[in-house]
Amino acid sequence: MITYKVSYVVVGGEHPGAIANELERPRVGGRVRIGRALYEIVEIHEALPPREDFAFLHATVRPVQTAEHPAE
Amino acid sequence: MTLLPLMKAVELFHGLTDAQLQRLLDISQEAVYQDGDVIFEQGAAGDALYFISEGQVEICIRSTPNSPERTEVFLGRGQIFGEMALVDRGTRSATVRCCQDDTVLRAIQGDAFTALCETDTAIGYVIMRNIACDLSFKLRHRNLNLDASSQGADAPEEGGL
Repeated sequence: MITYKVSYVVVGGEHPGAIANELERPRVGGRVRIGRALYEIVEIHEALPPREDFAFLHATVRPVQTAEHPAE
Repeated sequence: MTLLPLMKAVELFHGLTDAQLQRLLDISQEAVYQDGDVIFEQGAAGDALYFISEGQVEICIRSTPNSPERTEVFLGRGQIFGEMALVDRGTRSATVRCCQDDTVLRAIQGDAFTALCETDTAIGYVIMRNIACDLSFKLRHRNLNLDASSQGADAPEEGGL
C-alpha cells in the first residue's frame, strides 16, 4: 500500500500550508482540512521520486469558504 | 488493535522490520489532545520526538520574545515533530499546538530511544536517515511556500491594472 506524503501550499497568501500523509492519492477538486479551514486542491505534481511504499507530492490549494469552514 | 500498520505509514520508520517497529512501539506513549492544547512551548527543555497518529498540529514560532507568534506549518497524520531536540539536545525551537479535536500523538523519549539504539544500532541509523529525509521535505515545503507567498504578493489584485 502506497502512502502519499503531501506538501500542501496555499497560493497567493501568507498561509504556511501543511504536510500530511494520505492513504489515497489526492485529486484535483478534492478537499482537505488545514488547521481550522477547508481547502480545495487545484494542482498536484510529484515533489520527489517515490521511495518504495512512499510517494511524495506537492499540492496547491485554495480556500473553500462555507458557513462551517470560514477562510482563515 | 495493533499499531504496526500505522507505524509503517510513517516515513520516520520506513525500512524497519516488524520486530524493530514493535520495540519502538514498546518505548512510545500515546496522548490525546484537543483543539488549542499546547504540546510544548518554544524555549522549553525537551527530549521527546512525537509522531501524529491522527489529527493535526500547528508549529508556531516567535522570532523574539515580544514578537507576535506566527504559524510556520500545519502537520497532519504521519508527520513527526520534536526531532530537533532529539538530535541536538537544544531547547524547543517552536511552540506546537493541537488544532483538531481528538488528535492522537505518540511520544518517544530521548533517553529510551538512545538506549534502544545502543542495543540495535540499525534502528538508530534508519531513524536518523529518515529524520534527515523528513527535514529535507520540510525545507522543500517551506521553499515552495515562500515562492507561493511571493507570487501572491506580486500578483495584481482582481480587477486591478
